Amino acid sequence: MGASRLSGTYIPLRTMLGTRRPRGSGSRALLFTLESALGIVAVVFVGLLAHWFRWLLPVSVLLSLLVVVPTALLCGFWQAVVVSLSAVAVQSYVTARQANYNLAADPANSVTLLAFVLTALLVSRLSARVTEHAKEAESWGGQMHDLYEFTRRTLQMNLHVEPGSQLAELVHEIFALEAVVLFDADLHETYQAGFWNEDPQELAQNVYYFETSDDDSATGISRRVVRLGTVPIGSLVLRGETSPLTNNAIASLIAITFDRYRAFANESRIETERRTEQLRATVLDSLAHAYKTPLTAIRAASTGLSEMGKLSAAQAELVSLIDEQAGQLSDLTARLLKTARLDAGEVSVNAHPHSVRPIIEDVVASLSERLASMRVAIEVPDEDLVLTCDRQLMVMLLTQYIDNACKYSIFNTTVTIRAVQLNAEVIFSVHSIGPVIPMADRERIFDRYYRSSNASNRAPGTGIGLAVAKRAALIHGGYVWVTSEEDQGTTFYAAIPAPAQKRKVQ
Amino acid sequence: MNQPAIRVLIVDDEAAIRRALRPPLVELGFQIHEASRGEEALQLLHSTPVDVVLLDINMPGIGGIETLRRIRAAAPRLPVLMVTVLDGEEEKVEALELGADDYITKPFSIRELIARIRTAHRRVHAPVRVEDAPIEIGEIRLVPARRSVTKRGQPVHLTRKEYDILYCLMSRAGRVITYSRLLTAVWGADCREEVEYLRTFVRQLRKKIEDDPSNPIYLLTDVYVGYRFADAQMLQENAEASAAGAVSEQPVPENAGGC
Repeated sequence: MGASRLSGTYIPLRTMLGTRRPRGSGSRALLFTLESALGIVAVVFVGLLAHWFRWLLPVSVLLSLLVVVPTALLCGFWQAVVVSLSAVAVQSYVTARQANYNLAADPANSVTLLAFVLTALLVSRLSARVTEHAKEAESWGGQMHDLYEFTRRTLQMNLHVEPGSQLAELVHEIFALEAVVLFDADLHETYQAGFWNEDPQELAQNVYYFETSDDDSATGISRRVVRLGTVPIGSLVLRGETSPLTNNAIASLIAITFDRYRAFANESRIETERRTEQLRATVLDSLAHAYKTPLTAIRAASTGLSEMGKLSAAQAELVSLIDEQAGQLSDLTARLLKTARLDAGEVSVNAHPHSVRPIIEDVVASLSERLASMRVAIEVPDEDLVLTCDRQLMVMLLTQYIDNACKYSIFNTTVTIRAVQLNAEVIFSVHSIGPVIPMADRERIFDRYYRSSNASNRAPGTGIGLAVAKRAALIHGGYVWVTSEEDQGTTFYAAIPAPAQKRKVQ
Repeated sequence: MNQPAIRVLIVDDEAAIRRALRPPLVELGFQIHEASRGEEALQLLHSTPVDVVLLDINMPGIGGIETLRRIRAAAPRLPVLMVTVLDGEEEKVEALELGADDYITKPFSIRELIARIRTAHRRVHAPVRVEDAPIEIGEIRLVPARRSVTKRGQPVHLTRKEYDILYCLMSRAGRVITYSRLLTAVWGADCREEVEYLRTFVRQLRKKIEDDPSNPIYLLTDVYVGYRFADAQMLQENAEASAAGAVSEQPVPENAGGC
C-alpha cells in the first residue's frame, strides 16, 4: 500500500517542475533587453555628438569602444555584441551623412569599421570572461562563508531536542533560500522552512525513497539524499540559488548533525537507564529489608508453635507449611537483595587468589539438600588451579548455575561441574540433562526477569538467578553463554579472565 | 525443667518480633524481658538480672553495635546474641570482634534461637577451664600439654599451624571465631586479611578429623564470618537432626547424592 501511494505522489513533482520553467527565463530576457537598450542609447548619443561636432568624427569609433567595453564588463558578452553592431550601424549612418566623406572614396573608412567590430568583440569577450570569473569567485567566497557559518551553527546546536527543524531553519536563513524541506528517515519526520506550494513532506520522502540526488537549474530545486557513509538516513530538498557542491556539503553536514544527535540521545538514554536501574535497585533493597521483619515474625511464630509441641498432626502439618513458605519468601528476598546490589554496582570486587576446587566443593555442599536427588560430578583436572577472583561473587555465580541445573534437569541424572584453564581464562561449566533451551532464548535467558517460554510452568524461580550469574561474570571482566542440544544436554559456561599461571597457596 | 529458668532480654524495635518470640519462649520455660531500644535495654540491665541478651543490630537510636559496646563495658561476661540480617556480614564481624557471643540471622527458627541461647548461657556457667586441661568434644581429644590430638583414640598427625588453628577453635568450642581473629592468633596481625591461607588449612584439617570432609560436623563454616568448632550440645542436635532426616529420607534411591 505504501509503495502505490509513493508512486502516485511522484507525478505531481514532475508537473510542478514543468510549470516553474518560464519565470526565470522571462526576467532574464527582460534584463537582457534593458541592458542592450541602454547600450544602444549610449551608442546613438555618441553618433549624435559626432554629427554635431565634426571634429569628433575621427575619434567617434574609439568613443563607441568606450561604450562597448563597459557593457561587456558590466552586463555580458551578448549585450556587448548587440551594442557594438548598433555602433557600427550608427557609425555608418553618421559617416554617410557627411557631405565631404564619401564611403566609396575612402576605403580606409570600411577598414576602420571592421577593425572596430573585431576589437569590440574581442575586448567584449575578454572582459565578459573576467567579469564571469570574478562573479564566480565572489559567489564561491560567499557560499564558503555561508557554509562556514552553517557548520559553526550546527556545532553549537542544542541536541537535547530533535535537530531537524533547527537545521531546516538554519539552511533557509543562512543560504537565503526560498524554501527548505528536510526528512529524517529514522524518526520519520519532515521539517520545513520557507514556503512550498507543493506538499513538502511528499517531496522530501520521494527523494529518500527513490534516492534521487539532482539539481534542476530551471526550477532552482535541488534534491539530495542525506547519507551517513553509504547508508541513506534522510533527504533534503532546497529551492533557491546554491551550487551543487554547496548542496552536497549541506547534506553532509546535516548527516553529521543527525548522527551526533543520535549519539547524544543514546548517551543520555544509557545514563537514564543507569539511573533508573539504580533507583530500582534502591527500591528493591529497601523492599527486601522491609520484608525481613514480617518474615522473621512469621518464622518465629510458626516454628514457635511447633516447638511448643501441643499441635495435632494436621495442625503441625499446616504450621510446617507456613514455615516452609516463609523460608521460600526469605530466600527470594535474599536473592532480590543480592541482584539489587549487583545491579546498582554497589558490589566492590574483592579479588584474591583462590583455589578453584574448594569453591566448587563449598557451593555443592551448601546445595546438598537440593542436589539430593541428583548425582554430582566435580571435574577439576588441575587440582592446584588458582583463580584471582571475588570468592563471594564466584560462589553466587556457581550457586545460580548449579541451582538452575537442579531445577531443570531430569531426576537422577548427573550434574557435572567443570573448571579448566584455557589460554588466559578459567572456564567454569555446569552440565545437566534436561529440556533443550530454544535457540531464541539462549541470549535472553541471562536477562533479568526473563524465563524461557519452554519451562515457565515447570520450575520455581524468579528469573533473576542467571542475571546475577551474568553480572558476577561481567564484573570480573568475563562472560557467560549456554549450549543446549537434545543429545548432549545443556551446559552453562562462565569464562573468567586469568593469566595462564598457577600459584599454589602456601 | 528443674533448673532455674533462663532470663532472656529481647531487645528489638519491632513489636511484631517481640510478640512472636515471647509466647513460645515462655512456654518453653524461659523468663522474658523486653526492650524496644538500646537505651531502654541498658536501663533495664541496671535494675533487672538477666542471663542472656538477644540484641537486634539494626535499631533506631544508639543501635545494636553501640548498645553491645556499652553492655560489654558494664558486664564483660554477660552472654549477648546479636540478631542480624543475611547480608550484614560486616556487622556480624564487627559485633563478634566487640565481644558478642554469637549471632543469629533473620529469619530464624525458634529451635535455632533456643539452641543458641542455651549454648551462650551454658558457656558462662561452665566451670572455668584450666589452661592446659585436655579438651574432649565428641570423638576428638586435644591435649594442650603434649600438643597431641586423637580421634577415637587414634593419634591424628597435625602440622604446627593446623594444631594452632584447632586449639584456637576447640578451646572456644561453640563460638564463632572470625577469620581475622583466627589469622591473628595463628599467623600474627600481619596476616589478618589472608583468608585463603585459612581455607587451605581448614580443608586439610577437615580431611584429618572429619569422617566426611565435604559434610563436616566438627569444624563448621560461618559463611563470610569465620569458623566454629561444634560443642557437645551442637553435636548431639546435629546427630538427632540427621537421624530424623535419615528416617524421612528413606524413600530416596540409594544411588542419590553422589557428591
